[in-house]
Amino acid sequence: MVGSLTRRSAIALGGSALILPRFAIAQADNRPSITIAVQKIANSNQLDVLREQSNVGERIFFSSLWEGLIGRNWLGGLGAVPGLATEWKRIDDKTVELKLRQGVKFHNGDELTAEDVAFSFSKQRMFGNTEPVVGKTISADFVVGGGRANKELPAEVPAVARRSWPALLGIEIVDKYTVRFVNGTSDVTIEGRISRYGSEIMNRRAFDEAATYNDWAMKPVTTGPYKVAEYRPDVSLLLEAHDEYWGGRPPLKSIRFVEVPEVASRINGLLSGQYTFACDIPPDQISQIEQNPAFEVQGGTILNHRLTVFDKNHAQLQNPLVRRAMTHAIDRQTIVDSLWAGRTVVPKGLQWPYYADMFIEDWSVPAFDLKLARDLVKQSGYKGDPIPYRLLNNYYTNQTPTAQILVEMWKEAGLNVEIRMVENWQQILERTPTRAVRDWSNSAPFNDPVSSIVAQHGPNGQQQQAGEWTNAEMNTLSVELETSTDRARRKAAFRRMLEIAEREDPAYTVLHQNATFTAKPKSIAWKASPAFAMDFRAGNWGRQS
Amino acid sequence: MLRFFLIRLARALLTVALVVTFAFVVLRLSGDPALIIMSVDAPPEAIAAFRKAWGLDDPIWLQYLRYFSAIGQGELGQSMRDGRPAIQLVAERIPATLALTLPALALKLGIGIPSGIYAALNRDSLTDRIVMITAVAGFTIPSFVLGLVLVLIFSVQLGWLPSGGQESWRHAILPVVTLGIGGAAVLARFTRSAMLEVLGQSYIRTASAKGVPWAAVVRGHALPNAAVPTVTVVGFMVGSLIAGAVVVESVFSWPGVGRLLVVAVSNRDLAVVQCILLLVAITMVSANLIVDLLYGVLDPRLRSGAKAGGH
Repeated sequence: MVGSLTRRSAIALGGSALILPRFAIAQADNRPSITIAVQKIANSNQLDVLREQSNVGERIFFSSLWEGLIGRNWLGGLGAVPGLATEWKRIDDKTVELKLRQGVKFHNGDELTAEDVAFSFSKQRMFGNTEPVVGKTISADFVVGGGRANKELPAEVPAVARRSWPALLGIEIVDKYTVRFVNGTSDVTIEGRISRYGSEIMNRRAFDEAATYNDWAMKPVTTGPYKVAEYRPDVSLLLEAHDEYWGGRPPLKSIRFVEVPEVASRINGLLSGQYTFACDIPPDQISQIEQNPAFEVQGGTILNHRLTVFDKNHAQLQNPLVRRAMTHAIDRQTIVDSLWAGRTVVPKGLQWPYYADMFIEDWSVPAFDLKLARDLVKQSGYKGDPIPYRLLNNYYTNQTPTAQILVEMWKEAGLNVEIRMVENWQQILERTPTRAVRDWSNSAPFNDPVSSIVAQHGPNGQQQQAGEWTNAEMNTLSVELETSTDRARRKAAFRRMLEIAEREDPAYTVLHQNATFTAKPKSIAWKASPAFAMDFRAGNWGRQS
Repeated sequence: MLRFFLIRLARALLTVALVVTFAFVVLRLSGDPALIIMSVDAPPEAIAAFRKAWGLDDPIWLQYLRYFSAIGQGELGQSMRDGRPAIQLVAERIPATLALTLPALALKLGIGIPSGIYAALNRDSLTDRIVMITAVAGFTIPSFVLGLVLVLIFSVQLGWLPSGGQESWRHAILPVVTLGIGGAAVLARFTRSAMLEVLGQSYIRTASAKGVPWAAVVRGHALPNAAVPTVTVVGFMVGSLIAGAVVVESVFSWPGVGRLLVVAVSNRDLAVVQCILLLVAITMVSANLIVDLLYGVLDPRLRSGAKAGGH
């Protein structure tokens, strides 16, 4: 046989040996590759969950790239579900033990072990030179210094990490697949913090082998169903399937996010077939896209509420009756119907149903009652002096038209609110006598009111730190909500906080829930999650005939 | 000639220094990079740490002095977003921008100058009017409108060309055409005006009266004299090769210097903005210098004027 092998046939065989496996691979991998046009890929130009803490970051990270020990039900109510941990239990008020999922492979082939979990919450990767604050709530003025072992973390990473985990003493490794989160103080929200954005798990070896923090942050090695193939900041991010993914072979060969800043360009690219998905569609474009029967717009509410915020130090707002009148003068449903095509909702105050047993079902935003608003204005003795409203030009979707509608609604109640356009947040927050009303939005990073009403309006939240508002009872209740382990008392404290901040001494008033919209061909069977996150795991992808 | 060159060099350096100062003042007074890059919702201590790390908590005059002296030493700084050297970020984008602006410049020259000459030589004819109406339309339609119209026709309706991105040479066609049409219109109008002015001069009449063939008159007398104002406009076009495609790059999602500039300005990423502005200033100043030198080549009177000034 060997003797009959001619030079020509040997070359042919060699050639086919080179060609056949590639052909076979190509035949085997007939999964589609998709392109997603987004307005922004990442603000920080890095793919670190602790540095890129944004809505756009959520979209590219979850559930494609980064995964935590406790995951979220992205296609359901966003509740906690097993992630890289299969089960967890309380050891005591300060300690939670988790069993790791076995056989999970990182993108570099390493197996996930307790060592990676401990490293993901180490000083080297997360906390820098900060120390846990034991026995009291974290203060907004604690100092973050420089100089960390091994790789220099950006200064803000330890600050963000410590704000997320103020009292975490460390991770105890029980065995290769068991870890314990040990807190310095009693905390019923440890499980929530484990599931929050920023608590995801990374591969230790990849971090150690990267020359610099930036090298690692441009291509982090994680456990998600897709891995980073190429990242061109401000241009594109290419994710490729991680075929050893513990949750099953990903349904897509690759996902390419491309940055297309102009909304018209995103829509045109979708209609011409260049993009599979077009994200960040403004509400006023939805009907136009859906005029084409081949396309649909999906999406809806996200874990973020739009608020109007008050500065109670302003001469006209010192009397809470004026602020109360403002909350009752707003017809929120009209704003939702006219500016959001009815595709978002007026929520039940600053809370979300995924708080589960901490959600106060019978709470609501102040009712639209123009007569009551006028009566309150009359009682307050308000003389019609101008109330300045510092406004950015559409930093939030529909921000300017919403402000114009609000001003007219307040005028109906007898309030003279004047819009003053400003350029940036520095000017919005500037402490001068003309600061009275402004816009904001609040999220809930984990399923407990500590993550929102305490974090944003409590003693160390932005509103009080900026000197806009404070309330002694609210601050006492904030500490109780953070440190108490009595769930009934916590819920009562939360209700009282809502009463104070939204009714009695309004710090803010919730306008509506925010929403995001994604356009796609109807022929693709894919469901948007109630979040910025886009789920492309097995089970959420298909083609309709 | 040396004095001529040194004076222009000094002016150029002054221009660059003013650009640098202006950019610093405008960017630093119009927004806090920490609040923009970190977002207003970031923990206050994270924003404070960011400010400290980048020296944004120092007095503004100290920041300016530090920044200006660094530029003097050739240090253009690092991006506040990812810590990479600004010059590296800008250098990565230059080829993409030139891939648009160089073919667009060729298109401008290839269409604009012949059209202008032809229209001038056939003044008040139907062709002249068609060329000028087209030029006015091309000149007045904003590039973002033209770009979107082209995308609607050639991408959405006909499906012939991609609507955006940079994956292949086909992706460059629509942005190059968008850039080229506006510039060609400008050149056509300028060239026509310059030619008409020259064609009305007495030396053209004299040459014709002496029996020189019309083609030779145009080639030998009209074109060289009409070239001076046209070269000025072309000089501006060459000067804007680096950052002259801001709008078109945004409409077509083309990752060039223009888009980097937009992103850097919106993030108040001072080092990157500064690096781009320096590059633009240097390109513009160099183009102007070359144009000044070309005047001398094209017009012997200017050359002798420079010599006279030199003595």
